[in-house]
Order: sequence, then C-alpha cells, then structure tokens
Amino acid sequence: MTLLFTVYVLVWPVLTLAVLVVICRAVMRDRRSAREENRELV
Amino acid sequence: MNNESLYQFSSLTVILLLLAFYGGTYLMTFGIRKKNEDADAFMVSNHRVGFGMGAASMTATWIWAASFYAAATSGYTYGVSGPIHYGLWGALMILFIYPFGRRFRKLAPNAHTLGELIHARHGASSQLILALSNVLGSVISLMVNFTAAGALVSVLSPLSFQAGVIIAGFGVLLYTLWSGFRASVLTDFAQLVALMAIAIVIIPAVFFAMGGPSQLVAGLANLTPEQNNFFSPDAILNQGAPFFVAVLAYAIGNQTISQRLFAVNEDHIKPTFLTATLGYGAIVIGLGMIGLMALTLGIEPLNGDMNNLIPQMVSSYLSPFFIALFFILVIGSLSSTADSDLSALSAIIMADVYGKNIARGKADPKRMLFIGRLTMIVATVVGIVFASFSLDILVMLVFVGALWGAIVFPVIASCFWDRVTNTAFTVSVLAAMLLFCIARFELVPLTGLGGLFFELLASIGGGVIIGLMVFGFLGRTIGFIAGVLAMIAMLIFATGFLHDYTVLLASLTAYGTSTLVCVVLSLASRKPRFDFATIGRKVGNYDHTLDEKSADDRPQTPPRHTTANA
Repeated sequence: MTLLFTVYVLVWPVLTLAVLVVICRAVMRDRRSAREENRELV
Repeated sequence: MNNESLYQFSSLTVILLLLAFYGGTYLMTFGIRKKNEDADAFMVSNHRVGFGMGAASMTATWIWAASFYAAATSGYTYGVSGPIHYGLWGALMILFIYPFGRRFRKLAPNAHTLGELIHARHGASSQLILALSNVLGSVISLMVNFTAAGALVSVLSPLSFQAGVIIAGFGVLLYTLWSGFRASVLTDFAQLVALMAIAIVIIPAVFFAMGGPSQLVAGLANLTPEQNNFFSPDAILNQGAPFFVAVLAYAIGNQTISQRLFAVNEDHIKPTFLTATLGYGAIVIGLGMIGLMALTLGIEPLNGDMNNLIPQMVSSYLSPFFIALFFILVIGSLSSTADSDLSALSAIIMADVYGKNIARGKADPKRMLFIGRLTMIVATVVGIVFASFSLDILVMLVFVGALWGAIVFPVIASCFWDRVTNTAFTVSVLAAMLLFCIARFELVPLTGLGGLFFELLASIGGGVIIGLMVFGFLGRTIGFIAGVLAMIAMLIFATGFLHDYTVLLASLTAYGTSTLVCVVLSLASRKPRFDFATIGRKVGNYDHTLDEKSADDRPQTPPRHTTANA
C-alpha cells in the first residue's frame, strides 16, 4: 500500500521530467533546423 | 485580503520577483522583435512552429492558475481519484481536438482563426457566432488569470489584490504587445520550463516534508469510503462527468488552441498535441496530489477558501525559497495563458472582424497590426477592470458554456459533411441556446412530459459527444455506432433522473438540439453540395496581398506571391 501510494504521488513529477526533457531536446532541434534553413524559430 | 497565517513576503520582495519575471520575459522578446512585424506572423507565426516550441506553447497555454487550484480542490474533495478527475479530462481536451485540428489545417492551411475557415465555408453569420464565443471565452480567461494574480499577491504579501491584478495585466501586455503570437510562443517555452522544473521539485518536497509515504497511508484512515475509492461514483458524477461533457466544447470554443493548430508545422500536429496532453496531465495531476496530501493530514483550508490549499501546504512545510518558487510557478502559468488570450483576441478582431467583415478581402496588413495591438490594450484594460471589481461573471460563464456546447457539432460537421448549410449552422446554434436557457433556468417545469422532452434531447447530446470523440480517432462508421450505442444507453439509464441535474441536462440539451436541428435542416436543404477545395483558396495570408499590391504597382516586376485571400 505504501509503495503503491508513493508511486501514485511521485509518478507525476517523473512524467513531468520526462516531458520536459522531450520538449527541451525538440526545441534544440527546432533551433538547429531554423538556423540551417536561415529562418526564425517563431 | 492579506493573510497572517501564510508566510508573508515583504512588498519589496514580491515587487522584485514580479519585476524579475516580467522584466526577464520582456527582455526575451527582444531576441525575436522586428521593427516591422507582419500581420500573419503576429497572428500565427510562420505556420511552421516546430514540435518542441509548439508542444511547450500548447502545454503552457492550457495550464492556468486555476488548473492547480482546481486539481488540488478536487483531490481534497474527492480523495484519491480527485486529481485524476480534474487533470485527466483537462488533458484529454487537448488530445481529442487534434484529429479535428488536422482536418481544419488540411482545409485551410493558411488560416489564422477557426472563424476564417467557417467564414469560407458558410459566411458571416456562422463565423461571427464562433468569433463571439471565442471572444467571450478569452475575456473570461483573462479576467480569471488576473484575479488569480491579485489573490496570490494579496495572500503572500502586504500588497493589495488590485496591485497584483494591475502588475500582472500590464506585465503580460508589455511583452506581448509588439510581436503578438510570436512573443507568446517564445515566452511560453521559457515559462513552461520554469513551471515544469518547479513542479518537479515542489511535489516531492511537500510530500516528504509532510511525512512521506507512511504519513500519507496512515492519513487515508481519515478519508470517507467514497474518498478512499479510486472508482468513486461521487467523484465521477460530480467532477469527471461535467468535465467530460466539456472536453470538445472547450477545445472548439477556444481560439488559443486553434491558433496553435494553425501555427505549428502541419506534420507535427500529432506529436505536438500528444506531448502537450502528457505534459498537462502530469503537471496538473501532480499538483492536485497536494490537495490529497492536505486531506490525509486533516488540514482545513484557510478561511474556508479551497484556493488557499496549495499556498497553505507550501507555506506550512517548505522554506521561503520554495514559496518564492511556488509564487513564480503560479505567475508563470497565469501569464502564459493570459498572453495567449491576448494573442487570440487580437487575431479574432484582426482576421474575423476586420479582415473578413470590414475590409472584405482587401485588408491592409499595417492597419491589421494596429487593430491587433489596440485590441490587446483594450482587452487588458477590460480584464483588469473586471478582475479588480470582482464582477460576477457567473451568467456570462453559463452562456459561454452553452454557446461552446451548441457550436461543437455544427463546426465539426461543417468541416466533414458537404451538405451543412449556413442556415443549418446558424439556426441550430440559436435553437440550442434557446432550449439550453429553458432547461438551465427551468423556465418550464422539468417534470412529466417537459422533463422527458429535455431528457431525450440530452440523450442525443450524450450520443453526439461519444460519437464525435470516437469519430475523430476511428472514423465515421465506428463513430456513428458508438454514438448510437451511447444514446441508447442514455435513453435507458438517464431518462427519469437526469432532469434532477439541470446543469448537466442543459449542457447535453445544447449538444443534442444543435445536432438535431443542424442535421434536419441540412438534409432538407436543396442547395448544391459544398466543395471543400474552395476553402483553401479563400483563406490565406494577408501580407501576401500587400506583396502582390506592391508588385502590381511595378508593372515590369512579376508578382512574388499569389494571393489566397477572399
């Protein structure tokens, strides 16, 4: 029960961290391709 | 309302925090600022916003201050399943719109608002109904966000509520005014990174500071059986179901979503919206867990105000450094939504009102920009005034909710079915609004035949919601079957008791009525079937018109762009 509730509470910040990593890496890629194509990021 | 029981920053500290936040955000926008912005970029960037920026912007926009407070309230009220019943449905709003979004984008790749697409499909009356619903939604959102800023500043410092409202209002306007949507998207990324980083730290910090897993499990004994039940019918009926009904309506009625649909690279719509769904769900459900923690500890919300739950927990268990982080988290979330609302409102007035109905295809991009910026200033002032005077917006909220519910089927059907007419669209929305009001305000007795009549319409509405959701992912046939099955289930199980839940009954009635009227009038129409290919030709970029005009002034120079404007 204790383990289950620990996971239930802490899985969300872990998921948030995963999404944050995905978004940051994708933005780096966006930035690189914008530079290569000589256009603005937004 | 300065609260002595919560940790209090000095006025200077809060002002410095706000200055650092809004000053830093403003400085960021200098990196993209152009002396002469163009109207299209001001509304939707270059239609090629990448996956990372798009997902960050979508997530940051959809998370507003109320997301945390409401998720925590849900956790505190409904127990273990509460945060899920808020965050999951909010996240699914993003997910369920993307299949329709891809269709919108395919029909009108260069649109700036959903209203432009509907204008090309039907004409002014349908478009203006949609634009009106978008405007009302964004004004309400602005007001709510500024109110949250005022409330936060007033509970954590000696500064007044009005001071918080005004600083937030002008802070957001400051960095959004010049570059519009481009500034909004860029700052959304930075705000989201801050927001996520803080959420990642704060949730475990509160969890372990309150006593950790053993304390949480021991505290479960304080919960009622309903609160301990992960499949609590109470939580589903009172929190989950009303949110579920609103899933499609919020997404269709919100220009901040359509704007991003038209701004992101067309190939990246799916990953962008999937990532935003996950990001929103994780952050909001995670912060909602703080409400559950408060419940297990038996904490009473300060002054009986549920919005104090998270500040109270952070204030009780964490150091001032974390409280400052929490302050930035809330300011970041409300600012990212408020700047998106300003961009949405300016795009609606620029494209839907000026571009399509005043200039009628001969829009001057420079005048458009001026109108867009003026709209932002007016909207900010209106938001600040509404928030400062704590105006009662309940009636406005009720009507906006009804309008959003009423337009869902006509908007979606108009993009897939070539027989829907302008009359069918307009009349169905008006009829749905009328019957919604009758049910919502119980203008006729909702018992006997009257009650049965509305329950039948509501059952159709329930079928429509399920049918559209399934249709978006699995296609017409399966969607139709799912809709019919849901309607039959509603007829069997909801008839006889739904009239006791007037809010739910009225909302479902809006869906059911607009669908029924729209379908009947469309089938009865003798008008020729609509050619969807014409939409793409009618909706285009405004600055290209200027380019072509310039080119026309130089007879020997061939035009650089072909105009797609109507």
